[in-house]
Amino acid sequence: MTNLRILVVDDDPVTRTLLTKRLIRDECTVDTAEDGVVAIEKIASQYYDVVLTDLIMPGGVDGIRVLEEAKRANIKTEVILITAHASVDNAIEAMKKGAVDYLQKPINFDELFLRIDKIRNLKMLIKNASDLREAMDITEKTSAETIQELEMMVSELKGRLTAIRATLEQSDVDPETRLRLALQGLDADSLTD
Amino acid sequence: MIKIKPDEIKVLSNYIYSISGISIDASKAYLLETRFGKLLEEEGCKSYNEFYHKAKSGTDKVLETKIINAITTNETLFFRDNGPFDLLKFKILPDLIDIRGGNGKRPGFSNLKIWSSACSTGQEIYSVAIVIKELLGNSNQKFTLLGTDLSNAAVTQASAGIYNKFEIERGLPREKLQRYFVPAGGNWKIKDEIRAMASFRRMNLMQPFVGLGKFDIILCRNVAIYFTLSDRKKLFNKIADILEPDGYLIIGSTESLTGVCPRFIPKRHLRSIYYQLN
Repeated sequence: MTNLRILVVDDDPVTRTLLTKRLIRDECTVDTAEDGVVAIEKIASQYYDVVLTDLIMPGGVDGIRVLEEAKRANIKTEVILITAHASVDNAIEAMKKGAVDYLQKPINFDELFLRIDKIRNLKMLIKNASDLREAMDITEKTSAETIQELEMMVSELKGRLTAIRATLEQSDVDPETRLRLALQGLDADSLTD
Repeated sequence: MIKIKPDEIKVLSNYIYSISGISIDASKAYLLETRFGKLLEEEGCKSYNEFYHKAKSGTDKVLETKIINAITTNETLFFRDNGPFDLLKFKILPDLIDIRGGNGKRPGFSNLKIWSSACSTGQEIYSVAIVIKELLGNSNQKFTLLGTDLSNAAVTQASAGIYNKFEIERGLPREKLQRYFVPAGGNWKIKDEIRAMASFRRMNLMQPFVGLGKFDIILCRNVAIYFTLSDRKKLFNKIADILEPDGYLIIGSTESLTGVCPRFIPKRHLRSIYYQLN
């Protein structure tokens, strides 16, 4: 679970290599894409925990498109945008579209790893919550069946006791017959469906 | 984080009980600290004692409201347990519509009133609304759907009908998401046609039920679990008082009314239980 699958999208080969090396050292599984078009293909064919993408790239598909496709492919994929200083406004726009973070170039690796750690922790928390919920769902379901069964049984028994009491209290019938009828009431039908 | 002392737990628990009916025992120190830690800081209190006194003495009840919002558990999801919603779709709604239509009143046109008595952030009542929509489309059958909750914050969100991706993901099949919600920023908003079917109000179940009238269907799911047995008895008796004689009560799937309210009889349909008046 701590091993994140990351897609690095950047048109600069040096950046790609650098990021890949550092991320692998941080125990991540890394794929790369040299532009938005390739990125989208890769995103369509497999799941990534994190997509690290340049905002502005040649080739007609920019970081925002990559972000949209990543989110469309799987809502759990987190996208971090890398931007030049001048395009911070764009980055903020992208955050509104669902990017989890943005980093300015030149990339401060310490900062990058802090962000990735945060994402890691977030995913762990989510998994935790999801596990808890599943455990709760199963427990609830099993208890529910038992409790409902008991509820119906108790109700049926109450009804039966009421009927038997009525039988026993029938003053116009002789005691022996009353007892016989009452015992019949006990035996009649089964208690469960 | 400021720790709560044993004697403070008792005082605070009693206070919470008095304003909400929620019963918290002494072992729940952790719960109180988790729920109130931040609020304490925001209010500038140095201890839970100070916190309690501030809440108690506040004539505008602002802090009291915040406390209620913080202590209520908003664990809810769309179509929780599924069972009750199938029950509504295949048994209760068809039966009610038949019966109401068959007793001489204008067939099927009388108003069916449904109450979600611990509606939290609205998922339950909206799920009911969706079931109704899918069952009846745009028929002439009128419905009144009311959602109430102790927590102001929950009712406000229910009224807004906006849910984030986590709230939506739970229990809602994709095609229902597409059909009944629209994207709103990074969130999802319930469509107007569903939103218009329900109204919301803040309400404390411990207080007398005033001005509600009678209901045909009442949902009281997974809220009584927070109350003492004695309060549960009172609650379901009050509910029995405002349920139509042939009305239906649905409670949480792991809850039971045995020993709680003999006025209700359990009945089973498919794999769900519902209750009707004796």
